[in-house]
Amino acid sequence: MSRAAYFLLATLCGLMLAGMTHLSAVLAIPWLAENDAFARLRSTLSADRSELVAAPGDQSTWLPYPDPNVAVATCAYSLDEGPVRVSARTGPLFQSLSFHARGGGVYFAITDRAAVRGVLEVVVMTRRQLDEALAAEDPEDPSRDVRIVSPTREGLVVIRVLAAFHSQRPEATEAARSVACTIDREE
Amino acid sequence: MVAARLPSTGFLRARARRRGALSAALVVYALLLALALGLGSAHWATHGEYPFGVVRAGPWSVWPRAGSRDADPYTRAVIARSGDIPLGVGEGLLLHATVDSDGRPLDARCSYRIGPSTPQARFWTLTVYDAAGRPAGAQDRRNSFTSSEILRDAAGGFEILAAHEPRSGNWLMLPDSGRVSFVLRLYDTPASAGSAALDPRAVPGIHRLECAP
Repeated sequence: MSRAAYFLLATLCGLMLAGMTHLSAVLAIPWLAENDAFARLRSTLSADRSELVAAPGDQSTWLPYPDPNVAVATCAYSLDEGPVRVSARTGPLFQSLSFHARGGGVYFAITDRAAVRGVLEVVVMTRRQLDEALAAEDPEDPSRDVRIVSPTREGLVVIRVLAAFHSQRPEATEAARSVACTIDREE
Repeated sequence: MVAARLPSTGFLRARARRRGALSAALVVYALLLALALGLGSAHWATHGEYPFGVVRAGPWSVWPRAGSRDADPYTRAVIARSGDIPLGVGEGLLLHATVDSDGRPLDARCSYRIGPSTPQARFWTLTVYDAAGRPAGAQDRRNSFTSSEILRDAAGGFEILAAHEPRSGNWLMLPDSGRVSFVLRLYDTPASAGSAALDPRAVPGIHRLECAP
């Protein structure tokens, strides 16, 4: 083979490897990112209350394109120690909860319209924890919990509260940061 | 015979050594090419806007799958790199505009009229951002409207005037200069179920009025 043919072969190999590198880099980014929302909030994993990420009108938040009318708070969760019970008290302000799997993807979202007697309560669990809960349950008296299955063991619960008027901003901040996210231990 | 063979083996050995050096260089070249092209293209594809799944409605761009379970890997990578927390499907829908209704880039030195209606939603907010993705202006500036704050005309329509200088009515303050973008967020909207509700006639238009020289 001539030198040019070797060079062409090496270029083709390089291009094929480049394609593989590209795909693996794109797939790995959500897991290696150090600035994504989960990595930034990892330190709040053990907190029982939601952590405020952006108060309405907060200019110093790390959140890109923040809505100045919305208070955003999050609970980072890890399901290793058991299901996580998220309980939010709804008020006069628009409020929504969204559930983000680590590595991307919103797998569930709910707004205050779904609240029962002013409380939005959701239990996040793995598929295995759901199966165990169903097996342990009394078929005559099933649980009334809203149970959702998280596709990953770790993730974020994001609370958004909208201040429709400027004067409602403190109230929205308070509502966003007062959501309870506790580990549901078995009795 | 012997005298004739000796230089030829030396020649062969030198040629083999040269070939070894050549193939080593080619392997290094192929690996470097793979790294540079692979990582470079991955970086390029995962910064800025989501590369796939955009739906355009008038001047607005919508990524209906960004906040869903089946977001593609590139969208997930963009979200991870920006640190964004997207609006979930069922929670709301985000419409982003960097151009006006005629396709010209939004410029802070121009003034714009936005309206008169939005797709159906329980609440909506309209915010102006600077080129870096921060709400434009300082904290006390009017850089955003909610659907509750807006002044409406007799028919229920609205008109937001975005300009650097004060205007009467719904005035949204633009920064001094530079590129700007508008984001319309529809909270609790049936439009998030499918983007068929995002008809170009249903979304608000962004009409350029005049530009400072």
